[in-house]
Parts: sequence; structure tokens; C-alpha cells
Amino acid sequence: MHPLLASRARLGAYLLGWAPIALLLAGIARSQGWSWAESGALAFPLCLLAAFLFLSAWFLCRALPLGPTLKGLGPHGAAWGTAALLMGGLWAGLAWVLARLLAWFPGLEALPHRVNIALPVLTGLGILLYLASVALSYLMLAQDRASEAERKGAELQLLAQESELKALRAQLNPHFLFNSLNSLSALTAVDPARAREMCLLLSDFLRRSLGLGERRLVALREELDLARAYLAIEQIRFGKRLQLAWAVDPATEPALLPTLLLQPLVENAIKHGIAALPEGGTLSLAADVVEGHVILRVENPMDAEAPAPQGLGLGLRQVRQRLLGRFGSRARFETTALDGIHRVTLVFPLEIES
Amino acid sequence: MKALIIDDEDLARAVVREHLQAHPDVEVAAECANGFEALKAVALHEPDLIFLDIQMPKLDGFEVLELLEAEGKRPAVVFVTAYDQHALRAFEAQAVDYLLKPFSKERFDGALAKARALHTAQPAALPPPASELAAAARQGRPLERIVVKDGPKVTVVHLDRLDWVQAQDDYVLLRTEGKSLLKQQTLAHLESQLDSSRFIRIHRSYILNLDRLVRIEQDSKEHRDAILRDGTRLPVSRAGYQRLRELWEGDSL
Repeated sequence: MHPLLASRARLGAYLLGWAPIALLLAGIARSQGWSWAESGALAFPLCLLAAFLFLSAWFLCRALPLGPTLKGLGPHGAAWGTAALLMGGLWAGLAWVLARLLAWFPGLEALPHRVNIALPVLTGLGILLYLASVALSYLMLAQDRASEAERKGAELQLLAQESELKALRAQLNPHFLFNSLNSLSALTAVDPARAREMCLLLSDFLRRSLGLGERRLVALREELDLARAYLAIEQIRFGKRLQLAWAVDPATEPALLPTLLLQPLVENAIKHGIAALPEGGTLSLAADVVEGHVILRVENPMDAEAPAPQGLGLGLRQVRQRLLGRFGSRARFETTALDGIHRVTLVFPLEIES
Repeated sequence: MKALIIDDEDLARAVVREHLQAHPDVEVAAECANGFEALKAVALHEPDLIFLDIQMPKLDGFEVLELLEAEGKRPAVVFVTAYDQHALRAFEAQAVDYLLKPFSKERFDGALAKARALHTAQPAALPPPASELAAAARQGRPLERIVVKDGPKVTVVHLDRLDWVQAQDDYVLLRTEGKSLLKQQTLAHLESQLDSSRFIRIHRSYILNLDRLVRIEQDSKEHRDAILRDGTRLPVSRAGYQRLRELWEGDSL
């Protein structure tokens, strides 16, 4: 749909813009010795026709977007020129038809003859007006693109802020916190040394996550340290039910990634994997470098009897969003659930802080 | 007084055990790390009191309680949980005893005293049934799974796998993956807990998982059958047909 046809107000303003052109046309005709009646009767309907006819320029312009450089301007110019010639000719032809129709009215009998003489001028004027429409259309397209980009930018920013907020909240998972404090409460009586260790681990975890929450990008090393602190606490809570298999290639450690991307994966693996299984299982975390990309994998056993999860939970959706928000098509996010193993894989370019 | 401690975390059980040492008249008959163990231990020890964690693998605390009730076993219960705002609100509303992890000795002793009083009180003072409590704790979110005790065996039916339900007097017959399971519950009670956009009461005696429906066949003027994916025919009453139509029309709007 043409943007000028989409709203009455716009269309009205556009048609009003043609009124001075019609007056000008009538004035020129008067100066050539036409009568007032002849000038007015031809100029106004003809300009109304042009107003709608030349709207077609917008569709041509949309099909031929302007690049940032002058490259490709030749073929574009040829297209504009051809279209302008055709439209100018068509418009003059319409003037010719209109003149013959108007000649039925008394006092306008001479119009066909007058228009015949003016046909070359009308064609030239049509070409000029069409080219002006082309220019106007490009202006409108540019404006539309600008406002669209603005809207998208605002939307993306909102999304980013939202997920940041959620991420910050997620780091103080109340379940984890209160259950850990409860374990601590138990340990104070039965194993004071372990209780102190738990205290230190908890402080370490909290300090790290507070520190990370303030930053946008971190090295994978820091994310791994946070996960290590978290899992050490969960190992005290779950005892033998939580086994860890850790396989991290040191080359991946300086890789930069959005903050708190790994933590939700690890928390998910505990919540839906280990904590949901009476006998627990092994949580595996692997990081490798393959062809300039980091492949980060978190695996956990899951309850084979429970139905497979429908779609991604909020936590994983945000991880994907933030990963793709940072790296775009250069990153990949995958989850699979096969043979009782749930696996999340992140692939992203290995970029190191300069 | 005999007590059971039911929690999937060793250390969480240890805290309860430690606090119970100050009450020599309470004997810890067993400790259970999950719901299945708890059901066995209750049958074996007939405890007067259970300390029950809510979040556990396979069966949660509410489901354990529901299965115990189905057996006619109603020990006094102290719920123990780390963090569950919805459940806490339900406990408060229903005056059910609970402990928030971590808890103090005073708080523990208070909960124990309340449980003791409840244990010796008249049956009228008994807490509400577990299914009601669980529904209150879900805060309007529909049920996700149903637990059924079939002799010694406990089956957890995830609602994705529930095909249809038939009323049989005071029982409901649950049809899932070609098996039939009986559970003591009325059809209306079960219906009220299910997601009404997925499970439709198509007949006085039937609830159908909409996902299984292939088409409706009209035999005579007033007699319709629902044909399911596996070829099963279930009767559809006039009111049931009306409900299905309302749902479809609602969808197409």
C-alpha cells in the first residue's frame, strides 16, 4: 500500500500540494492566449490525474533502493528516465483525450486544437513532474526507514534491559540461597569445618555474581569460576547425587561472551536434572575451540518418565536471545533431549579482549 | 510418638533430626530421601507425625500426602520448604503447620507443639485434604500430573499422556497409553483441577483430552460419538457437544 493512500490526512495534504501546480499550468495556458474557461477546465482535472498517476513512482523507488554510494546509479537513472518518458507521454495522451471530451461543452470547442499544439510542452512538463515524484518518493522511503530503524532500536534496547534485569534477579535464586543456608545450618552442628567451607563458598559465589552483574561482557574464565563456586555449593547440598565432569580447554578461557550466560544453563541442569532424579547423576561441562569458535556444552541426565519439555523455558530463551543479540548469525544455540540426556550447546566466535 | 523425616537432601534431614534430639518422646522411625520411600515407610511404621519436604524428585510433598490419604493414613504433618510463596500462602490460609528453611530451634519447637496438639485433637481439627492444599498452592495453575496408587505400585500420569477419563461411581478410570488406572476421586473433582482448554467434559461420565479427538460422528438426531486417534468411540452428550462448539468458536474468533 502506498503510504500516501494509507491515511486521509496525508492524501489531502498531497492533493493540496498539486493545487499550485494546477494554477501554474492554467497561468501558462492563459499566457498562450487560452480563455479562462479553457485553461481552468483542462488544468485542474489534468493535475488531479497526474496526482494519482505519478504516485506509481513510489513503487518504482521501493523496487530500486538507493545505496550509500553512487554505484548502480546508472541503471537506476535509466529506469527513472524510461518511466518518466512513459508517464509523461501517457499524461499528454490523457490531456489529448480530455480535451476531446471537454470539447462537447459550449465555449470549449477549440480545446482539442489548442492541446494538439501544446502536446510537446505537456509531455515535457509530465516528465519533469514525474521525476519530482521520484525524488519525493525517495524522501518518503528514507523517512520510513529511519523511523522503522528507530522503533526497532528502541525495541531491542528494551529487550536487552529486560533480560539484564531478569539475569540479575536470577543470580539470587531464592531456592538455591535458602537451601544452601539450611545445609549450612545443618553443618554447623555436625561438621563445623565443612560449615566454614560452605560459608566461604557462598560468599565467593555471591561476590562473583555481584561483580559480574555490573558488566556486559566477560571472559569465559570468569563465568566458569562462578559456575565452579555454584556447583561446589550444590555438591555439599546434594552430596553423592551430584557428580561433575569438567572438560574445559584452557584456550577457551579468554573468550568474551555476554555476562551470566553460563550460570542459567548450570542452574537449569541442577533444577531439571539432578534435583528431579532420586539417584542424581553427572553434570558435564565442556568447552572446546573448533575453527575459531568456542563450543560450550552443558549436559545433565533427566527424568526419562517425565514428558519432554515443550519449547524452551524462560531462562534458556533469554540465554539464546542474549547470545544471538551479541554475535548474530555467527553464533548458534541448540538444545537436545536424547536417551535421557539433556544437552545445551552454545557455539560462538572466539573473540578476545584487545 | 513416632515420626518420619522426608527430604531429598541429607543435610536437611540432619537438621530436623538434630532438633528432635531435644524431644526424647519423639522417635525417628525412618528417614526417607524421596516420596516412594516415604510411602513404604509410612505403611511399615504407621508414624504419628511426618516432616515433609515439598520439592522432591518424582513425587512432591503434596502428592505423597494425597497418596497417604488415599490409604486412609493421616499422620500429623509439618511441611518443610525453602521457598515457595504460593505454598506458603496456601498454608497460612488453611492454618497448616510449616517450617521455612533454615529455621530456629524456637520455630521448630513451636511447629512440633502444634503438630502434637493436632494429633491428639478431634478428627474435626484435621487439616484439609492434600489435593485441596495442593490446588491452593498451585494458585489457579492447572494440574500437570496425577498420582495413582494401584496396589503396591504408584504411577505418575503426566497429563500429556492422559487420553480420557471415565466416571465409575466414586472412582475415576484414567486411560493412558493403553492402560487403565483407577483412582478414588469424583469426575467433577478431577474436572475442576484440569486445564479446561485441554480437557473437556464431553459427557456426564467422560472427560476427553482434546488432543486425542479426531472427529465427531452424528449417528442419529441426538446421538453423537467422539472418534479418537486410536479409533476409540466415546459418547458425546448434548451439553458436551455444546462445550466443544464453544471452544472451537472461541478459537476461531
